[in-house]
Amino acid sequence: MTAEIQDIFQFVLKQAPFSELPESAASYFSKHIQVVYLSKSNQQDWLQDSQPNLYLIRSGIIDLISAKDEVIGRMSEGDYFGYPSLLTGDAIQNHIEVQKDGLVYILKEHDFDFLRREYKPFEQYFVRAHANRLLASRYKQQSETWSERKISELMTKEAVTITPDASIRDAARLISEHRVSSIMITEHDRLVGVVTDRDLRNRVLAQDRDPCASLAEIMTKKPKHIFENNRVFSALHLMLKHNIHHLPVLNEAYKPLGMLTSTDLLRQQKSDPVQLIGRIYKAQNLLSIKNYAQEIPDLLRQFSYHIEDISLIGKLLSGLTDALTSRLIYLYQQQHGAAPCRFAWICFGSQAREEQTLHSDQDNGLLLPDNIDESAREYFAKLGAFVCEQLNECGIRSCPGNIMASNSECRGTVAQWSERFSRWILSPTPKAMLNCKIYFDMRFIDGASDLYAALSQSLANISKNELFYAAMATDINANSVPIGIFQQFKLEKDKGKHKYLDLKKRGVAIINDVVRLYALKAGVARANTLERLEALNKGALLAKSDINNLKDCWRFLTQLRLKTQINREGLPGNCINPESLSSLEKHQLKEAFYLVKQAQQASAFKFARGSL
Amino acid sequence: MEWLSRSLAKWRYKHLLFSQAELVVLDLELTGLDPKQHEIVSAGWLPIKNMRIEVKDAQHYLNKEVQSLEQSPVYHGIDSAQLASGYSLKTLLLALQQAIHGNVLVGHNVQMDWAFLKTAFQQFNLNVKPALMLDTMQIDKRRVLKQGYPLAQDALTLNACRMRYGLPLHQLHDALGDALATAELLLAQSQAICLGGKCKIADLT
Repeated sequence: MTAEIQDIFQFVLKQAPFSELPESAASYFSKHIQVVYLSKSNQQDWLQDSQPNLYLIRSGIIDLISAKDEVIGRMSEGDYFGYPSLLTGDAIQNHIEVQKDGLVYILKEHDFDFLRREYKPFEQYFVRAHANRLLASRYKQQSETWSERKISELMTKEAVTITPDASIRDAARLISEHRVSSIMITEHDRLVGVVTDRDLRNRVLAQDRDPCASLAEIMTKKPKHIFENNRVFSALHLMLKHNIHHLPVLNEAYKPLGMLTSTDLLRQQKSDPVQLIGRIYKAQNLLSIKNYAQEIPDLLRQFSYHIEDISLIGKLLSGLTDALTSRLIYLYQQQHGAAPCRFAWICFGSQAREEQTLHSDQDNGLLLPDNIDESAREYFAKLGAFVCEQLNECGIRSCPGNIMASNSECRGTVAQWSERFSRWILSPTPKAMLNCKIYFDMRFIDGASDLYAALSQSLANISKNELFYAAMATDINANSVPIGIFQQFKLEKDKGKHKYLDLKKRGVAIINDVVRLYALKAGVARANTLERLEALNKGALLAKSDINNLKDCWRFLTQLRLKTQINREGLPGNCINPESLSSLEKHQLKEAFYLVKQAQQASAFKFARGSL
Repeated sequence: MEWLSRSLAKWRYKHLLFSQAELVVLDLELTGLDPKQHEIVSAGWLPIKNMRIEVKDAQHYLNKEVQSLEQSPVYHGIDSAQLASGYSLKTLLLALQQAIHGNVLVGHNVQMDWAFLKTAFQQFNLNVKPALMLDTMQIDKRRVLKQGYPLAQDALTLNACRMRYGLPLHQLHDALGDALATAELLLAQSQAICLGGKCKIADLT
């Protein structure tokens, strides 16, 4: 006789699908299982092809890992695994990693089939679970590229527009007719304002305003907006930063195309790193900011497994640094009073190019109005010191070159900054060239954007003579691509015996330098290398095929570089040992370096007249 | 020369890999703690083969010939009405004989159970000798003492030992439930002691 063990039976009875089945099903299950103890040391013994089983976790924590070594899911008490191959007869693809040792119940194929035959809901439960898992993985595949998608692909609502002289009632009617939650107000096809259903409640009903009044009275003027070609990530960032739920989408000519709502984005992906940015923007004190900052490295590591375009990590990290900076500035003003005059916080280098890594250090500065007085300068000296110090504590290291807002040289008025730049441009010494490489990659972070616009304008006006470009081209060509005449890698050696290739210094940085040179020449006011190339596409300075080649190279090298940063192997940062690459990767890497070399030489020919 | 062949068998078993041994995990419910005076109320046991607890081969016998339950139902919850549906003590012992004779017998404080069984087997003139006995309580006692911790009272109860390995709290039900809880404990102990290496029975004695 087979005896029933109460402990098992009571547990099984509580689990789906048995809770919905006659007790006899749980009883059958309880009498036919084997009980095993899973630990790290025997994890490889389970989920074997030779004996497909159903596994039910009684205790412990187990990760299910796919053949591609991605974590499919973390499982604990009451979770099943092993059923897909029981249902389909296909070979077992996944394996497990035990996180916390524990007990697992095993039901053999024969007994699983019996329950399947006898109890339809039992079969349905596992068929559905299997379908869900397939769906989840397909959803993951889709969402892997979510961030790369253009805004225009996500917009679900077409542009509903009205002119500002229309009445509030007209707008309300149009909103309800189109079943939307907001409306865009346009004049000559250009966006001038937005009204949401919430505005109708708060600004009209609650204030007893006459519905016949003009819409212009209640609309949000100069609303935040986004362009159709921007990425989803930027939209999320903007919405979280300003706490808005409706974002008008415009084309390049500022013509409204549609409205992007926070619901549209939520439907896309609940991405943790992006939510972290949102939490940082809402942090109420230093301690919570620091706590959030601590989550960054781990979060990034997880995130990097789930995205295809790994160069997005750079954007994400810069986004996080932007958020930290903004919030620190806000907190400082909360504690020490609002800034005495307008200012702009700007960043340089990798943060500006949005290619930050976990090892990047700070490069930032403060831009002040020309009429600033001494006491105001003192305020900003303290603000700069505070923000830089706190960023350092958040894991974004202080800049060894002291390019930081805590340094008085990096806190200047528009005139002072322009003066510094023109000095470098007019007397292009090697030291000046080094500065140009850092400072010409510049981006606005927080504060008064018109100050930043004024500086950009002023910089564009500084006439750059041939000598300057020639000096930059010469400087770029001083750095060599690590490819020998016979197409073999030229490796560097560190103090130990490691041989390596420096992907940043000898690859990505050269592309950045070449592209910066062309961008300066063409007057492109962007800092991100890919965006610069995109903008150069419109001019004739660089051939389209060259632009595409540079883009591909940049992506490839960046991807390789970030991948090695994530799987560190004891080499200096940004470096790889080519032996660790697959033969395809080696081949691609050589091709990439070859293209970089060509672009480098072409720039010398173009700007330095081949005077090298 | 029976002791010689017995000791040879014992030696062989000790050098057997845990994964290759056949073990029987047993628990008894009793009316008291004195084998001379008290009785076996029920017995539950199940085998471990290849480090898997075979629940389908679990056995549970109630002894319908218990003379006096006294206060013991407080502990095991078995009343005389339930007992009436049980088996004769001899049937119980014969089934158990088949399961444990020449095998490795495992129990939590197995010496106590064995004292009762020895008396009972003698009573029916049955010759039953397990090849080897493993005691999950002694295993934990040694482990705790080796780590230099003092032994608190109640530190060696079945649930206290299970907690040391993160096993779920076990509701004390009946002999068979306790046998399962003991078997699970032994699996956890073997993993902890041998850390993934091939565990020999000797490592657990």
